[in-house]
Amino acid sequence: MARKSLILVSVAVLALVMAAPVWAADEIKIGVLYPLTGGAAAEGKELRDGAELAVEIINNAKPELSMAIAKNAGIKSLGGAKVKLIIQDHQGNPQLAADLAKKLIQDDKVVGLMGAYHSAVTKTVSAVAERFGVPMINESSTSPALTKEGYKWFWRTTPHDTTFTNDLYEFLDGLTKGKAKGVKAFDPKELLPIVSACEKTEWGANVDLAIKEIGKARAVPVQLSLLYAAKAPDLSSEVQSLLAPKPATMLFAGYGADAILMVKTLKSMKAQPKLIWGQNAGFESPEFLSALGDDVNGILTRTVFSPRVGQVKKVAAEVNGLYKAKTGRDLSGASARAFTATQTWAHILEKAGSTKPEALQKAANEIMIGPDELIVPWKGVKFATTGSDIGQNELGTGMIGQYQKGKDGKITLEIIYPFELATADLIYPFKGW
Amino acid sequence: MEVLKRTFDFSDFPRTDLCVAGAVALFLLIFPLLPHSSFAMATMIQFLMFSVYGMGWNTIGGYGGQVDLGKAQYVGIGAYTTAVMMIRWQVPFWVSLPIGMALAVGWSFILGYPLFRLRGHYFAIATIAVSLVLKDIFEAWSFVGGARGLKIPLRTDMPSFLYLQFREDYYYYYVILGLFFVGLFYINWFRQSRIGYQLRCIKDNEEVAKSLGIDAHWAKIKAYAVATAFVAAVGSFHACYNFNIEPEDTMSLDLSVLIALMAMLGGAGSLWGPIIGAAVLVPMKNYLGAWFGAKAGLVGLDLIIYSTIIMVIAAFEPRGIWGLITRLRESRRN
Repeated sequence: MARKSLILVSVAVLALVMAAPVWAADEIKIGVLYPLTGGAAAEGKELRDGAELAVEIINNAKPELSMAIAKNAGIKSLGGAKVKLIIQDHQGNPQLAADLAKKLIQDDKVVGLMGAYHSAVTKTVSAVAERFGVPMINESSTSPALTKEGYKWFWRTTPHDTTFTNDLYEFLDGLTKGKAKGVKAFDPKELLPIVSACEKTEWGANVDLAIKEIGKARAVPVQLSLLYAAKAPDLSSEVQSLLAPKPATMLFAGYGADAILMVKTLKSMKAQPKLIWGQNAGFESPEFLSALGDDVNGILTRTVFSPRVGQVKKVAAEVNGLYKAKTGRDLSGASARAFTATQTWAHILEKAGSTKPEALQKAANEIMIGPDELIVPWKGVKFATTGSDIGQNELGTGMIGQYQKGKDGKITLEIIYPFELATADLIYPFKGW
Repeated sequence: MEVLKRTFDFSDFPRTDLCVAGAVALFLLIFPLLPHSSFAMATMIQFLMFSVYGMGWNTIGGYGGQVDLGKAQYVGIGAYTTAVMMIRWQVPFWVSLPIGMALAVGWSFILGYPLFRLRGHYFAIATIAVSLVLKDIFEAWSFVGGARGLKIPLRTDMPSFLYLQFREDYYYYYVILGLFFVGLFYINWFRQSRIGYQLRCIKDNEEVAKSLGIDAHWAKIKAYAVATAFVAAVGSFHACYNFNIEPEDTMSLDLSVLIALMAMLGGAGSLWGPIIGAAVLVPMKNYLGAWFGAKAGLVGLDLIIYSTIIMVIAAFEPRGIWGLITRLRESRRN
């Protein structure tokens, strides 16, 4: 009898042991929507690579990395379950993205969504997520309106354009007061007139609004602002209008190919501004650098990441090393933010200990990721649960970088703002082409 | 009575066509009951939307032979009328739908009068231009949300048939399927009507048509208005189905070209052409994208296959797929 029981118990234990790996090998599917073809394809690939690197770290223990997601293989609270990304290409098309989101939710049964880069696309995808009650983490869409909807299933890790545009004006103010490394104080009037050109979808139109409103409130009004189509094959007439008031400061928001075209057109029309600033996106994609080469020297862009962050954050340097080994490129603002959003997903899953939507929603609302965990120079990740910006990460901060050609002839995005983090002297005024 | 008879009179089609059409109609009616993925459902809804767009385009572009590449502006008018009325004044979809169609038709009369003074390529280019101008106006017009567009807020009383807000897609499916059948029967009447014959006559030889006493200018304007009503109706539906509209996705040149392309690829000037065109292009576009679109190394392959098929059909049979079928039939008869 005892022998029989022993056999029974042994069989049961064996079954459990054998079943455990099966259970542990369960996959947690996250649906990801990025633009992998079309005008923003290069940024889409950056985002994909960033997210995939994070998944590699989540699924395989990498104790040498000083971040929580690297400690265990898989999600510990879910029995070591692995995270699997199901990536879809939305081509920058909001309608297609909404259909793909439904496919991911209903057919692929993903536990949550991530994406979608273009704010206009994120707007439709977040509406689908809300309709189906599925959590969505957004990594890089910065239109402030996205978190003004009061949605219960949408969270955004990146800071939005109100923050970034405030940074811009803080930077301009500090610049005239001599706070920028290597530049003496000067008369603020030198920076006038200011002109701006933004692409005209959800994102660009909101940047345009923020630039005008914040500028007006700070008594440095934008003299001329225009919106243009990101798909436009030619921007000569736009640039001509922009150059008419002989601008000292030129501000831009462009997605991919249009940002490159804008700079090329400025060069061909011999524009001579003192300062050129781009609102991230197209201005910090690897394509921007490779297509324009030395022509970017001196151009400023707001960003959330530069390989230079590695100088002040060890974990950023470590992850950048892994990314470079995998792709041959340094992390960019896009890939760093996709990495951070995927990392946030892992923290949410770990905290929830479940893949039920309600548990994930609760975990997302309660989560707090400290600054030491992050590769981006933020104060952490904590989502607002009250106020007018529900779902927005309250601890995100922006940076402004400047492309500078080093002595070795290589162009690097040096950190210029926050002034205390500056890694190089600011090139001011812009030297021209 | 005569009108009703013509609407349901398909007797000039061979029996095989009618059997196939009947089977397809049955399939469409029971599709939501069959096992299907949500992506297939979304694809079917898009197929029906583009079929109705194509049917509309076919009146002026197919029967009338006037290549119109500016239909997206009317999609926009329909969509914006519904969205604005719903957001600002809580007007139900079923009320804003006819208003949107009426506004679009009114606008088409205003545009049609000068546009149809032009012919051939000049007409096609002019339709593109006016459509893009309207898009630019909408992008700068803050009342309709400017370039950021409008977002229809989710209602708490979902599902709402009055406001066309549902969680499940099959409700939308049956609404657009209803529009599809109404459109199909209307076009069946249209092709056998006086204006239908007038248009075909104008398409073959406008001078001869005029010599027979046909007011070619007026006939074209009327057909253009009919096309517009179709497109605007689907535009209204699009606003509710998507919850979110922008000039870029409702009024873009891409959409205008796609509407014309589906009808031309299927077979312009035939009853089934636009439906066949949409049935081929919509699933191809969606599924190729979903299969290859995101795989590293295969990115863009879907677009290459998609464009190759279009080029091959255009090169071998300019009358589209329906032309191919007709040619096959003729060769068999001989």
